[in-house]
Amino acid sequence: MLAGLAWWLDGDGPTAMQAATAKGAAATAAPTPTGWPALGQARSPAMSPEERATQLAVWTERLERAKHTLASYRDGTRYPFESRPISEHADQTYPNRPVAEDSALRTEDGQTDPTINVKTAQSRVFMAAGESVVFTIAASDRSGQPVAFTVTQARALGLPSPGRGGQLPQQAVVFGDAGTQGDARAGDGVQSALLAPAQGPFAQYDGAIRVEVKLKLAGREGLHGFDVYYSPEQPAVWAGPVREVVERGSLYLYMPVQVSTPGRYLVSGRLDDASGKPLALLSFNDVLPAGLQQIKLTVFGKLLRDLKPSFPLTLRDVDGYLLKENTHPDRALLPRLMGTVHVSKAYSLNGFSADEWTSEERDRYLAEYGRDVDLAQGQVDQLTGP
Amino acid sequence: MIKLYRSLVALFVVAATALPAYAANYTLWVNGRTGGGQIGNYNSFTYWGPATTAAGVNKKAVNWDGRSNISSQNYLIRDALDCFCTGTNWCYIAAHSAGDLMMGYTLANYGGSTRYKKNASPNAAGQCGNSDGSTQVGWNIKWVNVASGAGGGSELSDVGSWTTSEPLVKDLKTTTARALYNHNSTRNVWFYMFAGASGTLYSGILPGQDDEAVAYHSTGGVSGSGGQGLCNPSDWFCNDLNMGTAANEGGSTKWSYHSVKFRDNNESYNHYANGNWGGIISVVRADTVTNAQ
Repeated sequence: MLAGLAWWLDGDGPTAMQAATAKGAAATAAPTPTGWPALGQARSPAMSPEERATQLAVWTERLERAKHTLASYRDGTRYPFESRPISEHADQTYPNRPVAEDSALRTEDGQTDPTINVKTAQSRVFMAAGESVVFTIAASDRSGQPVAFTVTQARALGLPSPGRGGQLPQQAVVFGDAGTQGDARAGDGVQSALLAPAQGPFAQYDGAIRVEVKLKLAGREGLHGFDVYYSPEQPAVWAGPVREVVERGSLYLYMPVQVSTPGRYLVSGRLDDASGKPLALLSFNDVLPAGLQQIKLTVFGKLLRDLKPSFPLTLRDVDGYLLKENTHPDRALLPRLMGTVHVSKAYSLNGFSADEWTSEERDRYLAEYGRDVDLAQGQVDQLTGP
Repeated sequence: MIKLYRSLVALFVVAATALPAYAANYTLWVNGRTGGGQIGNYNSFTYWGPATTAAGVNKKAVNWDGRSNISSQNYLIRDALDCFCTGTNWCYIAAHSAGDLMMGYTLANYGGSTRYKKNASPNAAGQCGNSDGSTQVGWNIKWVNVASGAGGGSELSDVGSWTTSEPLVKDLKTTTARALYNHNSTRNVWFYMFAGASGTLYSGILPGQDDEAVAYHSTGGVSGSGGQGLCNPSDWFCNDLNMGTAANEGGSTKWSYHSVKFRDNNESYNHYANGNWGGIISVVRADTVTNAQ
């Protein structure tokens, strides 16, 4: 700073920007102030036509990105982050559908056999206390024709994790195609297995479980691994019916919950209109103390006004977990609420606010993104001006 | 005249000390698997390449070990964001590979949490002091550039090509990575995806186009199940990974606020920095130098 001061005193009255540069040069650890380098370059009177063209290309690109960032943020934050159109969360619409994958047959040597396609699915990845999970496997050839196979070995293994010592649990898993034990339809070529950790050696286990499956088909051998995460911990339980309230132009759904482990809870619920069409993803993310608490799900007024749903609305498929910081596993799930959880009353859309969401966060972002646009536009104007 | 100069000097010093800390933009680089940089030292660019290389305004290396679970190391990213991306300071983020999973996890789980505004002067552990004791909701992030993002996992984890004793490898299993958090919840911050395609070694394992570690279904920010084969338009037998936010050929879509900025049509870029900002990282670095100012 002293160097800059001396230079300022000896000079002919430099600009504030130049003074800032001198300050930065004197203290090497000081960060470059916002916007400085570009302004200096663009204002240089000695810029050649080639340099000017290069600078113009750079600033045009920055301007394009800045405009896109500002416009999309302004548009996207008309609604709060906890009340979003379901179209923005397409893969969250039906959270209890099996997680399916499709791959070439994997072989023991870590390679694949592209002549055999294996379709696998698991009913969930993260499991609440007491939940079970269903795994399915089917095989087909290149033309899509089913290929018969046998499961030669299947077992569930507790996977090691840092800080966990001792013997890890394991148990045999039985795959079958008899229409029982999680198998949806007998004799369809899809083999299924059911794992219920609470009813075996995994009852008190908290962590990753891998189900290793070895297959034999068409003279070949293959394998597949399913991973699930189980915790016997129940950090909170639902504690009563949903209460709905229209406040400040929005519809709020309050879900009582008895919290035994305080901490950050993330909860998500899906909202459908009267015809069953998915409408919105409602979410909650906040710190809860122990005791009887309320999970507040917001159906934002403007979201309703814009989407114009038919009432009543149905809240369904609510899931959530306690997020554990800086550790693994990082969560303990609340009991999953599958299917319809609550059906709202019928309302007139005019009873809801058409105002956009406002918050300090939104104002802060819009102001900064706006400054970026102004800065880039100013540079482009200078570079394209006379 | 000397008296006038002294007065001016005094006035300037008083004015300078009375001014609040000026706003600054920072460029944070979040590493992927293997790590290598000194944790807590934001000037340690070992993972990427020479620290002297231009990589955006006020560049900082946000180092984590690259082998532990995402959740276990996530505090290091939150520390860095607190340091440089609160108060009047704003950040551009560049992430590589599992750094994508790390950033997505951070924003989905903590993006709306209350943060103390920090002074951008980290201690040896990479933590900064409070600036004025006030707080804000979330961080100040302009956008995220992602080099070969592994937010959707990698089949190399599925088949055991990477050692299963490494905790991160379990997080990178495609089913787990995709279920780990809501990838659409970025706090409306854009993830610009840069997808490399020079991979050949694992083409039997990684579906569609890949960069030798991660396939297009992940590096392109594609929603839904893993295992989707997506390619460059020159491949007639495979669905195209489309640019921007457009749905891909075959109908698969991208996570919200994920946009394909670069698709490696010439199959020129692999996954690896190679100690010199190489592979797909070179493309992200060039874009970041241009746009992160």
